Amino acid sequence: MSDSLLVFDGIGQDFPTPGRRAMVRVLDGISFDIDRGKFVAVIGPSGCGKSTLLQMAAGLLAPTRGAVRHHGRNVTSVNTEVGFVPQQAQLFPWKTLQENVELPLLLRGVPTAERRERVAAALKSVGLDGFESHYPSQLSGGMQKRGSIARTLVYRPDIILMDEPFGALDAQTRMVMQSDLQTLSIEAGATIVFVTHDITEAVLLADNVVVLSQRPSRLLANIPIDLPRPRNMFEPFRNAGFEAAYDAVWTEFRSQIDTGRVH
Amino acid sequence: MTDMAYDARPADEATGPRRSVWTGKVLRWLLTLLPGIAFLVFWQWAAGRLIKEIYVSKPTAVALRLYELFASGEIYPHLWTTGEELVLGYVIGVSGGVIGGYALGRSPRLARIFEPYVMAFYGVPKIALAPLFIIWFGIGIGSKVALASIMVFFLVFYNVFTGVRSVDRELVNLTLVMGANQRQLTYHVFLPASAPFVMLGMRMAIPYSVIGVIVGEFTSSTQGLGLFIHEASANYDPAGVFAGIVILLGFVTIAGALAGRLERRLLRWQKPSGVGPSDI
Repeated sequence: MSDSLLVFDGIGQDFPTPGRRAMVRVLDGISFDIDRGKFVAVIGPSGCGKSTLLQMAAGLLAPTRGAVRHHGRNVTSVNTEVGFVPQQAQLFPWKTLQENVELPLLLRGVPTAERRERVAAALKSVGLDGFESHYPSQLSGGMQKRGSIARTLVYRPDIILMDEPFGALDAQTRMVMQSDLQTLSIEAGATIVFVTHDITEAVLLADNVVVLSQRPSRLLANIPIDLPRPRNMFEPFRNAGFEAAYDAVWTEFRSQIDTGRVH
Repeated sequence: MTDMAYDARPADEATGPRRSVWTGKVLRWLLTLLPGIAFLVFWQWAAGRLIKEIYVSKPTAVALRLYELFASGEIYPHLWTTGEELVLGYVIGVSGGVIGGYALGRSPRLARIFEPYVMAFYGVPKIALAPLFIIWFGIGIGSKVALASIMVFFLVFYNVFTGVRSVDRELVNLTLVMGANQRQLTYHVFLPASAPFVMLGMRMAIPYSVIGVIVGEFTSSTQGLGLFIHEASANYDPAGVFAGIVILLGFVTIAGALAGRLERRLLRWQKPSGVGPSDI
């Protein structure tokens, strides 16, 4: 038993294949820990089950084998102590930005005055103050993403699970968001599990990069990234030691990219 | 901030000169009314010239008949009966459709059992049930309410069922992780997410409730607009028939406008594509 905040312990997952009786093994004995206050990036080829790991941590999916432990307790039902930032912003289109960010607090029975205060603070921290009464359809993709992050930060979850949150954004917005996320996570001392398929993003943001193999995926490596913070998200190569860190991840990852195969 | 907001509020338009806005509005209305006026004029001209007036009457005769009907008070009992049937049939049908569609939409198990039955009954032409309903519910308003509500029910049911089933699973999971219980999930996610479908069903159901009621009254009744139209037609009174139809038209138009207003209010979060006033 470790004192880590979140533990993936020998996770295995089989999914039924449509049309056939055999099961497809997606995850095969994945184990790694996440310590409090750490930023862990999980990378792997597409279809390797990275997102599946996050769903397990959120208690939305039970692993076929192994267990996820949060605070040393097995996660067996929906885990409301985590925050989930999905690939698409997934703001509620029928709620204004303010109401969106307020919802988790409302669901948790936080009193009105405190709600208002915390929503304002969360929106300010992601630079969205002044857009409270906008509906999501009136916001740009980047702003929706910020709203989605604010909605997660506002209830101060123990761990923030992020599933390729910046995948759908354009290159510039993405760099700004990465930089802001770094600032926010340092300020809040947040614990983050960040799934991505982008090595540069993983190396720049994370304290640890977990590399998964192709299906059935196994853990290839858990590489500590010791670059000093704050890191420069706009010019990755200017970070002292970036090259070596990138190389360490890439060495593990390259074997999994085989150009002849369709994923 | 490098991001841009797409502000959908037409703030600049409102600050423009008031008069040009008004002129534009009036012009738009005139353009809309033009085909209708042209049709009425043609009808008036053609009656007695191209076609015998006994077949088609004419707008002035219809207007006169309408005036007489309201002035003498002859039409009020019919109006009242039909109105009552419409409102009751509509409300019962919509409520049933929303509840049924919602329940089956939320529960895959219920849906698996009941969907084939609903599907089968959906295919039955409800009009064919009119004589049966008269036997079951009598020639009073009961049979008409039943007929209207069953027509409305299926429409609303299918819309709501589809709407609830189309709610994004990820959004539901996200809300659960945020800490929602089932009741909160219903209130904050499923109801608003299916609201556009409910509204669409409600709007589409308005003419169907009218069809149900009128067919019921045609089949057998003691009072109502359907009976009035039926009798007028039996007495070779085309002006009376058209007067009845104009009243029904009024019903449908007013109900449609009310539903449209409710829809715009409830769904103001939707992208303003197609709902906003379009320029000429």
